[in-house]
Amino acid sequence: MSKKIFSFAFFAICILLSTSAVGAESGKTLVENSANFDGKTVVLRGEVIGVMERGDFAWVNVLDGEVAIGVWVRNEDARKISFVGDYRHVGDLVEVVGTFHMACPEHGGDLDIHADKFTVLTVGRELDRPLNMPLALLSVALAAGAITLALYLRHVRREREKMVPVPSY
Amino acid sequence: MLFLIPPLEKEDLKIIGHSLSNICYLSGALLLLPIIVAVVYEEFDVIPSFLIGSAASIFFGSLLSFFLYTKREMEVKHAVVMAAVAWLVAPFFASVSFWLANALSSYLDALFESVSGFTGTGLTVAVNIDHLPRSVNFLRHFLQFVGDGIGIIVISLSILGKTEISSVLAFKGEAKDTGIRPSIVRTSRIIVGIGLTFLIIGTSLFTIAGLKEGLDFGTAFFEGLNLSMTGYATGGFTPHSQNLLYYHSFWFEVVAIILMVVGALNFNLHYAVLGGKRGEILKNMEVKILLLWLLVVGSLVSANLLFVGLYPSSEALFRKGVFQAISAQTTTGFQTVYPYHLMFMWPVLSVLLLVAAMVSGGCANSTSGGIKMLRVGMLLKSLVREIRQALMPKSAVVTGSFHHVEDTPLTDKMVRGAATIALSYLILFSIGTLITVGHGYGLEDSMFETASALGNVGLSSGITSPLMPATLKAVYIFLMWAGRLEIMAIFVLAGFIILGLRKGIKE
Repeated sequence: MSKKIFSFAFFAICILLSTSAVGAESGKTLVENSANFDGKTVVLRGEVIGVMERGDFAWVNVLDGEVAIGVWVRNEDARKISFVGDYRHVGDLVEVVGTFHMACPEHGGDLDIHADKFTVLTVGRELDRPLNMPLALLSVALAAGAITLALYLRHVRREREKMVPVPSY
Repeated sequence: MLFLIPPLEKEDLKIIGHSLSNICYLSGALLLLPIIVAVVYEEFDVIPSFLIGSAASIFFGSLLSFFLYTKREMEVKHAVVMAAVAWLVAPFFASVSFWLANALSSYLDALFESVSGFTGTGLTVAVNIDHLPRSVNFLRHFLQFVGDGIGIIVISLSILGKTEISSVLAFKGEAKDTGIRPSIVRTSRIIVGIGLTFLIIGTSLFTIAGLKEGLDFGTAFFEGLNLSMTGYATGGFTPHSQNLLYYHSFWFEVVAIILMVVGALNFNLHYAVLGGKRGEILKNMEVKILLLWLLVVGSLVSANLLFVGLYPSSEALFRKGVFQAISAQTTTGFQTVYPYHLMFMWPVLSVLLLVAAMVSGGCANSTSGGIKMLRVGMLLKSLVREIRQALMPKSAVVTGSFHHVEDTPLTDKMVRGAATIALSYLILFSIGTLITVGHGYGLEDSMFETASALGNVGLSSGITSPLMPATLKAVYIFLMWAGRLEIMAIFVLAGFIILGLRKGIKE
């Protein structure tokens, strides 16, 4: 396995371990037991993978390593976020304490959490994604080889077509 | 009956192989496009994976083109077999890129994702979609647009092929055999033109919606482009693991509905409407049945959800119930509900209605899958005709007709063809369900996931994941492939292979 997969797996384990800490529910538990948690105060920890400001509030999508859940937070809280997780970034690790809705009446029936308390536990970071030089060189060589072969075979075929067949007696 | 069929000749293999070379060349060229995205987003480390996939495709194509070169024209059998093989060959090269980019956890997963993309299914086994390179994510969506949205096989042949005949026949192989216009090059241009028009409209609408809903311009445009490609292609891939739930937006869902419905309509209808025949929308039998069926499924699902009190408002019923019904019927697979909720909290009736919608599908000659509304319409008309015949005197002859761009008499041959496809579909659906149940999943989940794979839908009950058994992944790859080819091409390919094995290949 490559470094990328290893680092992702490590990060996912960290998040899973953090969510299994006392008091925090995993996203999967919340989704699979929505009826039991509906209207109750829950704690969710995870990585920020999306922020969208909507007036005085914002949607913050939080991924706990397995399942992502939308969290409705005040703008001033959302602005504490430094990094949103994507290929080049590890998003901030946050803790949300708020009211869980199985089908939120305010947000078109979405499953969400309305945050009462929003804390950034660990600031995310930029990821180094170095180019694998041997693979890069191999890819360039293969591409050049494929194009050369295609052009050469096309040339040979055309030359063959030009040849006049020798009549047999 | 096998003795009546002439044996295969070496020339047959050459015709198929040479046509496949065009598909390989085009796949190779298309795999270079994500490199632009990788450069824009500075994802230089994944560029080699696209280059290698592209090089492999061009390399294979040039060998086929050289060693299987022939000037002979295609016949129907060649076109059908070529289409069946092409829908495996093209995903193969894209899967090489997915695999080398470490986007998926195994090569089988990479192939699954690639087949799901090319066939416009949308079931995903990607481990962590939210952290995928943008260029890889672009490739996932782009595959659905070129594979299912504009039909890569016809396009490749009409652009790179020598004549139009091969393309007309390939069109038959892809089960889009009621051509829009006599000229296939013109037809291909129209299909590409329609696709690009809706891509531009969809991207613009999603970008506006994204800006309104708090995304920055770059993200709104990029994600809008991706969602438009898969929305129009009725594919269903999205750039995030939460699917459309990620955006928490009514407007995103409205734009998605527009694209899904447009994608599920017949290309002939688009062409007729663009040509000024606006009344065709209301007269066309297939459209009438699609809209009626959408209304019935959407209303029943909403009423059922209202009855069990799962959602608190009419807006929620629309955004969850009606949206999922449209997504299933158009065979798109965009989801606004967590798979777990769909299977374990939604009432059984609603789930079964979605299964029925996925099996019946959208219009023929569209980007959607399933049995297709044209066939459903023919079978219903035939049923009515039979009932009328039974009630009439013995000497009376009852005829039937339907309007599909033009008034068409309903012949027994048409009904037989529709019934054969529908029956084959239901047999494969039953076998797929049984195999899934055999892997330890519940009947309801198994029916749902099988209908989704075979109908090239992409809605998931949660079965499809990187952790699902490898044998089931292989079965779903087969179902997605068979569903995309509307099954008959698979039988022809099987017949072709059996013929070769039994009678050998003549020089």
